[in-house]
Amino acid sequence: MKKFKFSEEFNRKVAPTVARYPRAEAALIPLMQEVQRELGHFPDEAAQALAGLLGVSYARVKGVLTFYTMFRREPGGKYLLQVCRNLSCHLAGSVKLLEYLKGRLGIEEGGTTHDGVFTLITAECLGACGTAPVMMVNDDYHESLTVEKLDKLISDLRAAAKAHK
Amino acid sequence: MKLKIDGKETEVKPGTSILGAAQAMGVLIPRYCYHPSLSVSGNCRMCLVEIEGAPKLVTACSTPCAEGMSVLTASEKARAARRDVLEFLLINHPLDCPICDQAGECGLQDYYMEHGLHKSRFPQTDKVRRHKRRDIGKHLVLDNERCILCTRCVRFCEEITKTDELCVRERGDHSYIDLKPGARLDNDYSLNIADLCPVGAFTSADFRFRQRVWFLQRTPSVCAGCATGCPLEVHHKDNVVYRLMPRPVEGFPPWLCDEGRMTYKSLRAPGRPAAAFCEEGNLKPAAGLRFAASRLGKLKPEQVAIFGSPFMSLEDNLALAELAAALGTKNFCLHFNTEPGIKDGILMNTDHSPNSRGLALIHAVYGGYTREQFSERLASGEVKFILGRNEEVKAALNAARTDIPSSVFSFSDEPAPGRACVLPAAGHFESDCLFINYAGRLRRARAAVKAPEGVLPVWQAADRIASMLGAPIRLETRAAVLERIKAKIPELADAPLADDTAEFYLK
Repeated sequence: MKKFKFSEEFNRKVAPTVARYPRAEAALIPLMQEVQRELGHFPDEAAQALAGLLGVSYARVKGVLTFYTMFRREPGGKYLLQVCRNLSCHLAGSVKLLEYLKGRLGIEEGGTTHDGVFTLITAECLGACGTAPVMMVNDDYHESLTVEKLDKLISDLRAAAKAHK
Repeated sequence: MKLKIDGKETEVKPGTSILGAAQAMGVLIPRYCYHPSLSVSGNCRMCLVEIEGAPKLVTACSTPCAEGMSVLTASEKARAARRDVLEFLLINHPLDCPICDQAGECGLQDYYMEHGLHKSRFPQTDKVRRHKRRDIGKHLVLDNERCILCTRCVRFCEEITKTDELCVRERGDHSYIDLKPGARLDNDYSLNIADLCPVGAFTSADFRFRQRVWFLQRTPSVCAGCATGCPLEVHHKDNVVYRLMPRPVEGFPPWLCDEGRMTYKSLRAPGRPAAAFCEEGNLKPAAGLRFAASRLGKLKPEQVAIFGSPFMSLEDNLALAELAAALGTKNFCLHFNTEPGIKDGILMNTDHSPNSRGLALIHAVYGGYTREQFSERLASGEVKFILGRNEEVKAALNAARTDIPSSVFSFSDEPAPGRACVLPAAGHFESDCLFINYAGRLRRARAAVKAPEGVLPVWQAADRIASMLGAPIRLETRAAVLERIKAKIPELADAPLADDTAEFYLK
């Protein structure tokens, strides 16, 4: 396994994060989230390194990492699209949205576009049933979606990604 | 505090779990994830019980007793819940029983007969399939499909060996037991996981497919793998030992180390002497003893040396000491240098011999040379005959760096004859014998199987040799040996040597 090196910014955050909890192990999830925020995913090598840092076992970190679906184990696109497929969104037409996205991006559920801009997954209830159908783009909610709105959103995101390059 | 369990009053210490309180009364609440030596996890939900007045069932393993509580362990509600839990556990469990080694001692089978007896509502083809027959460590095979995720194995590696190999990966019905990519489950206590596992997920690579558990006879004995002398149970059938299992005894952890579990292998190891190997060729065991006696008869007492061993039982060492006295030789050694102690904080001892404390008792009564003095005696060249056990005889000959005396007779229940004539000897699962462990606790090993034909324990062989020489030591029966031990060794004068159940410590 490759040796993993945490960023300096991450290292600065370790002590204050650990200090917030009665036990070092409790800082596991916040620190895992921090790694994911920086890298976009949580690589396996980081599990070993973080275990050493907090004095817990690799098995413990691996168990937590695989238990929570919001930790991503593989690198994904710049924008993570999570389409809600639970009851309210389903009734409000999320199936059509998902089909549209698959067609426009040319990927299946769980896939990432070739240019590395979008990763498409489905999610269970995002807790915004009043404004169904809903999709999350990274940490932002996009509500009451229609195919037209979605079309514009994708184009805007593409443009934003290009502008950043 | 007082509470009622199934209508009966009982009194427990605060902090006792309902499961513990019930068990003390003889009420066995079914459980998978609960293990008395591990932390409480409460994940299997099999121990659900009803508390009168409480709206929901509670897990008996993780709920502490409270004053005035009235627990119903077998109410209709509790039984229905258990039946449903069991149905959930069995949804994805494969129908492997005919080829599963756990069959006969499987928690799923037992509780199914007791609480389930339902027909499966799911077609067999819909079961979740997982990795089977994973070669996961030196001694273990893992079948993820059979696992019910009780996490006893995970907790064992976390809490007992502190090696943390295992984890539960993923969640829901995707979850399975796994370990680090490339890692192996190779700690010194790994086989306990096969015992802990309430189902057939972890099985012993050594025992796999070798015997059905319901055919096995069980003989309580002790381990002679090191000075700790853990209590164990010998599982055997038709004079063959198939496995060694821990035997729960107050004051000992309920585990065995992997090394100790494999000690039974020496009984049927290829090359184990069942005949006497001498320069004259192979002799039957009795003829081997006659041959040794004939050699002895031609020598003066000071030319004879006798070697006791911490690897032999009290009986054996006493008989050899008596033989030395009967022959009138001063050349004998009942001494062994050791510093015993638990080396890993669990069970394994720094002293690999099971009976160094016992040997020391005999040394104190019969005297004799220390190891160092004895080596010098052997090096002097005066000694023409050595009788002892393989380990000592070989070590002494190497240390003395002299030519081999004309006759070396080595008792052995192992292969590796070395440079000596080998006299076969019964192993410690083949004869009743006594050891004293590093803490001064009397350990009684029981004969589980018969020794090969004509092969005697060392004490009996020593008695035969003495008789042949016309210097009888009168140790024909084990009762006679035990009498002699009591008469000779003051520390053991009141010891319950023949009573299997009584505990005895040296003062």
